[in-house]
Formats: sequence, structure tokens, C-alpha cells
Amino acid sequence: MTARSFAQPILTRAGLLGRTRTMAMMGVKMMFFDRLKLLGTLFGVVFAVVLGNFQAGTFLALAYKNRMFVENAQVDVWVTPPGTRQFQGGKPLTDSQLNRARATPGVAWAEPLLMQAAQLQLPNGGSEPVTLIGTRAPRFAGGPWNLVKGQTQLLEQPNAVIFEDAEREKFGGLNSGSVRELAGHKVQAVGFTWGLLPFAPAYAFAEQTLAREIVRAKPDQHTFIMVGLEPGADADEVSARLQAELPDTRVMTRAVYMHEIIVYLITATQIGLSFGTSTLMGLIVGLITVALSMFSSVVDNMRAFGTLKAIGSTNLDLALLLFVQAVVYGLLGSLIGLGAVSGMVSGMRNPQLTPILLPQALTLTVVVMVGVCLVASILALLRLRKLEPAMVFR
Amino acid sequence: MSERAIELKGLTKVYGEGALAFQALKGIDLVVERGEFMMLVGPSGSGKTTLLSILGCVLKPTSGEGFLFGQPLHGRAEGDLPRLRLEYIGFIFQGHNLMPALTAEENVALPLELRGYSHKGALVEARSVLSAVGLADKLKSLPQDLSGGQRQRVSVARAVAGRPPLILADEPTASLDAESGMAVTDLLKTLSAERGHTVIVVTHDNRIFHLADRMVFIEDGLMVPPPANMSSPL
Repeated sequence: MTARSFAQPILTRAGLLGRTRTMAMMGVKMMFFDRLKLLGTLFGVVFAVVLGNFQAGTFLALAYKNRMFVENAQVDVWVTPPGTRQFQGGKPLTDSQLNRARATPGVAWAEPLLMQAAQLQLPNGGSEPVTLIGTRAPRFAGGPWNLVKGQTQLLEQPNAVIFEDAEREKFGGLNSGSVRELAGHKVQAVGFTWGLLPFAPAYAFAEQTLAREIVRAKPDQHTFIMVGLEPGADADEVSARLQAELPDTRVMTRAVYMHEIIVYLITATQIGLSFGTSTLMGLIVGLITVALSMFSSVVDNMRAFGTLKAIGSTNLDLALLLFVQAVVYGLLGSLIGLGAVSGMVSGMRNPQLTPILLPQALTLTVVVMVGVCLVASILALLRLRKLEPAMVFR
Repeated sequence: MSERAIELKGLTKVYGEGALAFQALKGIDLVVERGEFMMLVGPSGSGKTTLLSILGCVLKPTSGEGFLFGQPLHGRAEGDLPRLRLEYIGFIFQGHNLMPALTAEENVALPLELRGYSHKGALVEARSVLSAVGLADKLKSLPQDLSGGQRQRVSVARAVAGRPPLILADEPTASLDAESGMAVTDLLKTLSAERGHTVIVVTHDNRIFHLADRMVFIEDGLMVPPPANMSSPL
């Protein structure tokens, strides 16, 4: 052998960080090289994000509609008819129960609330239902709120009613000062609220005496009793005291009542199941699209992956490459999807049923979609694990 | 480190089992000295690709002993093989097998980064080797923008970058015209002589036989003497 120098073995190996960087770069470049596949995969993620968020947002909007009264009325504790699980009347509550509530320690005030359906006569001869709320002056506990025209105190005027602004057209071009017949009783519109549209006819507010006249309710019968606490009183403790004092009712703090309404919506109606199924379908479609797309990308690039294995990449390296691709698909698809769904929601901004997009839901979307894409990449990884590097010589 | 690049003793490879078993290698004894430029020649199905795969640590032998620079190839765990490939071997494939999404310099830098080079260090080495193969002006080109000969030169650059001691080339001229094929093999020969690589080329191409230091013939899974009409260096 001559004195020539020979190439020596390379005795280093990239650490996990270096390999991750190298494989991440490879993965991203491969993704953007095949733009058609990139678009197809992103479409799957975007579809899942839009459908999922739209469904979840619509469910949240429905939930809000059901609990909006409890959420917005300035009431600490609610005394409701026995068995109450929604914001809905039942067996009427009595003056005697109202008085016992007022006498309970920790209670600063207790006011009755009347809620009953009534028909509004339209100028064209037709009629539209409203949910008439009888609220007592001068405290006006229980609303109205979100006033866009007029003031609550105007309800003290004779025959004054505050209607929902979004329903003005439906109510025959109702304006401030317009006179209508409500359940056969002449009333005058003195103000308008915005967005007070429950999952039932829109709320209309009148002073309680007038409301009782309109719906012919007895003066000693109430739909709910609303309770305000003395400063420093604990809502749970006062609620427990009231429950003990009024065993023929169901007493709930504001928080418990709102929670109960949501639980009822999810468990006792098909709404939760329906929206949950749609959201799940969106996720499944996203999962399948991403899984098939990544799998097909691996099949299309089998020789490239075989070469990577032959030149020394391990299964871990290839897993890193696929996981980086999955994360990028998840992040990119989530951002595009969230942008699309936000645009759609702001485009349909009206009080009827606009989906509610919570910041937490947006964060959750990104986390869930990255998770979905990571799960989807497993199919491709299983295929790559079986890939023999010797295939590059065939 | 061993003076011998490769030493094989009674190496066999059987594919499948039972009645379907097929013996691709029937006992190969071979020694390749360090720095040799050897060509492995044989008809299709002779076992030369199987032998190349075992030497390339992408396939395990069924029996016999094999040593790569003193490192045993037989009885190795599957997980050891990628490390052996990274440390010892540069590959040149028949179809160049460049990553379509990577530029020429990124393709050459890729195995270097896997070997622990920093990204910058790998690119510096990649540019230097690409210049050596005459592609200094194609560093940023994608494989799809290069001619067949240029792609194979990138493939040669990828194999020799980082100076792995062994280069395995599988039919490197198969997809090239005569002129490009000769140029690429000549380039490989020159680079390996300069840089001290041991090279094994599997080929059918008799136009490049004259570049070999030694030729080994294989037929039906066995090493055989050269054909009578062969006038190449033996």
C-alpha cells in the first residue's frame, strides 16, 4: 500500500435537535414542493376548522339565547317553580313565598317577575308572539337591558312597552311612539332593546301592573322571584337558606341556574347531540383527508424516502419529518380556517343566531387540529416504517 | 482501522422460505483493499445488487461473515445499520435519487447534516464539492432544472461529500448518454483518487470498464472468472 491518505469514517451523528431541524426543513420543503397536495390537505383541515367552529359557535349562540336572561338580569339568586331546569315558567309562585324570601337572612330585596306569552296585533291584521316580561318599578330587576332607544324609566308611563329592535320590521314597522294592541290591550312602544331574542319569541318589557293587565295574570301569582343579596352575603349560603325556607320551589344562584340551563340543553335535548355530531364529523373529515393526503404523499415519494433511509436516516428521523409536516398542516389550516370562519361570522352579524367564537375555542381549535394532523400522520409513518432502504437498488 | 475496506467470507443471502426460498448469493469470498476502484459486473439476476445492498448495510446477509473497515456486517442489529451507513458509505444510485424539493446544494448537504455537520458547515462543504464536480453555477437549481448528467454529478457530489471511506455506485451510467456516462465515471474515479475513497461500481456498461482498478464478475450468486473475451484490467 502506498503512503496515500484514505478517507476515514465519519464518527459524529447529528443530535436530536440537529436532526429535527434537518428533517423539519426537508418536510416543509417537500410540502410546498407539491402544491396541489398541499392545497388538498389544507382544504381538509380548513373544512374541519370551519365546520367545527361554526357548529360549536352556533351551539354557544343557542346556549346563550337560553340563558341570556339569567346572565344579564342583575339578580343574585333565583327562586323558581319546582323542577325548573330552563328559563321557563311553571307552577306559579305566590305572594306568601315572596314575603318569606324577603324575610330570609342575607336577602336585601326580593322582587317578583312575570313572564308570559302574548300576541301582538299587526297593522296588516296578522299577529306575532312576544314573550312579555313584567318587571316591577322602581327597581326594574330583570330588565330591560341593552337599550338602543329609550330608557327603562319610560316603562312607568301608561301603557308603555319596550320591544326588540331586531323585530321592528316583523312587528309591522314598529317605531318609537307606535301604538299596537298586545293581547287586546293598547300599548305604546317607548324604547327598543338589541339582541334580546331567546330561543322563543322576542322579549317585550312592561311594568308589572300593566303586564298583569295585558295577560290577565292574578296579582299574587309570579313566574319567578328574583333575589338581591345584602353586601357581603354569600350567594350559596343564602340560596340554601331560601331553599330550606321555600321547600316547594327550586332555588338557584345565578351561576348554578346558568349551568343548569346548559346541562339541560346538552343532556335533555337533541341539540347537544346534533351539534356534537356535526363537529365530530368535521374533525373526522379533516382527519381522513389529512391522513390520506399524507399517506399518498409518502407513496408518491417512496423512492425519496427510501433514499433518505439508505443514506442514514432512521425511522425516528422520518417520524420527525412527518410530525413537522403534520404540525405545519395543523397550524396553517387552523389559521386559514379560523380566518374564514371569523369572516363568515362577522359577515352575518345579527341578533338572530350569530355563532359565538370564543377566544378559548380558537386556541382549542389550533391544539385539536394539530393533534388531529399528528394522528393522521401515523398512517403514513406506519407505511414508512415498513419501507426497506434496499428498495433504492431495485 | 483495518487496511482492508471490505472482507467477505462465504457470504450467502436467501430470500423467502421453504419451497419459495431463493438463494441470491451462494457463498461470496471477496477482499477489497482501501482506495481500490472496483467494478462489479454480472448479468441481471446474478446477485450483484444483493451483494451491493449487503455492502451498503441496507440488507443483512443470511450467513457467512462480512467486515466493513473491520466492522462486522453479520449479526448486526437492524438499528445499527443506519449509523454504519452514515459513518462509512456514500451512495450513488442508478436514477440519481435526488430529493426533488431540495436544491443541488441542499441535496449534497443533507447527509452531512445527518452526520452532525451544522447547517452552515454542511452548505460550505456542499458548495465546495459541487464546485469540484463542475456545478458551481447550479448550487440553487432544483433537480428538475438540471440535465441527466448534471443530476448524476450532484449525486456523485452527495456521495463524496464529507469523505465517507466507501462509495457504492449502482449503475451510475445507466440513465445517461455515452458521453455523460463516461464523464461522470471519470469524475468519480478522479475524485476518489484525490480524496482516498474506496469505490465499488456495479455496472453493465463496458464503455467504462477501463477505468476500473479491478473487475469482479458474479453470476448465479457466485463469483466467476472473467469471460474469455474480456480485455479489461483484472
